[in-house]
Amino acid sequence: MCAAVLAGTALSVSGLALQTVFCNPLAGPFVLGISSGASLGVALSLLAGFSFGNFGVLGAAALGASVVTIIVMWVSGRFRNVGVLLIVGLLLGYLIDAVVSVLIAGSEAEALRVYVTWSMGSFGRVLLDGVWVFALAVAAGLVLIVVSMRYLNAARLGDDFARGLGVRVELSKKCVLLGASILAAAGTAFCGPVAFVGIAVPHLAFMLFKTTDHRVLVPGAALCGTVLCLLAGLFPVSVPLNAVLSIVGVPVVFYVLVRGSRTGWW
Amino acid sequence: MAADVLLKCEKLCVGYGGGSTLFEPFDFELRAGELVGLMGVNGCGKSTLLKTLAGLVPQVSGNVFLDGSPLQSWGARERARRVGLVRMSGSAPDRMTVREFVGLGRSPYSGFLDGRTAEDERIVDDAMQVTDVSCFAERPFSELSDGERSRVFLAEAVAQQVNVLLLDEPNAFLDIPRSHALFRLLRKFVETREMGVVVSTHSVEYAEKFCDRIAVIDGGRFRVAPASEARNLGLLDWARAE
Repeated sequence: MCAAVLAGTALSVSGLALQTVFCNPLAGPFVLGISSGASLGVALSLLAGFSFGNFGVLGAAALGASVVTIIVMWVSGRFRNVGVLLIVGLLLGYLIDAVVSVLIAGSEAEALRVYVTWSMGSFGRVLLDGVWVFALAVAAGLVLIVVSMRYLNAARLGDDFARGLGVRVELSKKCVLLGASILAAAGTAFCGPVAFVGIAVPHLAFMLFKTTDHRVLVPGAALCGTVLCLLAGLFPVSVPLNAVLSIVGVPVVFYVLVRGSRTGWW
Repeated sequence: MAADVLLKCEKLCVGYGGGSTLFEPFDFELRAGELVGLMGVNGCGKSTLLKTLAGLVPQVSGNVFLDGSPLQSWGARERARRVGLVRMSGSAPDRMTVREFVGLGRSPYSGFLDGRTAEDERIVDDAMQVTDVSCFAERPFSELSDGERSRVFLAEAVAQQVNVLLLDEPNAFLDIPRSHALFRLLRKFVETREMGVVVSTHSVEYAEKFCDRIAVIDGGRFRVAPASEARNLGLLDWARAE
């Protein structure tokens, strides 16, 4: 249960931060490939044998997530179109999946079993001593995001506008993206590649709280994410977590797409 | 005694990176209580000049002083409390209401967590009232017309309580009555709030009627003259239809 609360918070806040920074309503740790980057880190540590306990897996995941985030940030600076960013994220995801399948081909049966179980996604496997590490990583990510509150509130209007309001954009952006990467990495490392929480929950929070003020949205998204993950955790173990989350997530994303076509995003 | 100099340019050269300059170096002072119209053909560098004065683009050479200190020496937030640039082009933030948008103007004054006090709320209300946007305060920004947006952009800068207000073609999307109202409002700001305002516009009529001085960028030079003399001094020659 602790795992569901932590993962729900981590992925939702990460998704909210990414959507705000990239001014893209369809951004999220999963869509942008950041979760995949974390997965690669996990795969390397589980399959290729670089295992150093909880910190090792988390560290590898955070590193993988950060590398993908840097690539995504670089791309977003070059292409203004919101679609390009998503496609790049998807491509990175595919690339990483390919690398992981090569790793799988060369790995031993026991390591493979651990990896496959992890990759199904679950809130039930985090052990008690692991929870502390998980909580610590989530807290670190949240702090990085919360200290950049002024930037988050101005970011949707563009960097120049935020600068005009006296926000130190470059510093804040790095802070937020690092925070979002850590959160996505923590959620992924401990609970597997969990889909749709990051992309869908920020919109649920918007709908519920009807504000763009991140002082409300950050805790709001954390709350919505927690509730969603707790509900998803209620299903019997035989139902894969990602199946439940997809059933909730896809309609939300679809709604955002339809709504976006009305307001002229695409 | 002359009014306080709010903004002072010394041998200022503006342009975008790489050292290429848009026009010759110039000196200019903006005093409290004056409205200066900035004119020139498209692409002559009006917007870049305004961005430079707002500290958003570094100058190529020369100096800009804000309240007596070099612009770059001000902290980002301190600077944002003194100088604000109002632009009409801005991505429409989805879902953000007019009130939330105007409230962003209080951001340079807010604490670490971007909180707002009752005083902030009062200033936001006042800014919306004076720019006549209170009637649609709760509407989403993205649903507004261009003309309504122009006023909301201005309201945000008013909430920022700057004393140097820079506006980049604020009447581009406004109809004639609204343009009049805008320039009357700018006059009111300079007269009652001790602000110094630089407004770029293509409207010679408004510049001559409402501004104290007119600055023109023409033929690679920046020239400035009192509004009443600008025409006789030939500053407006470029604007004549042949």
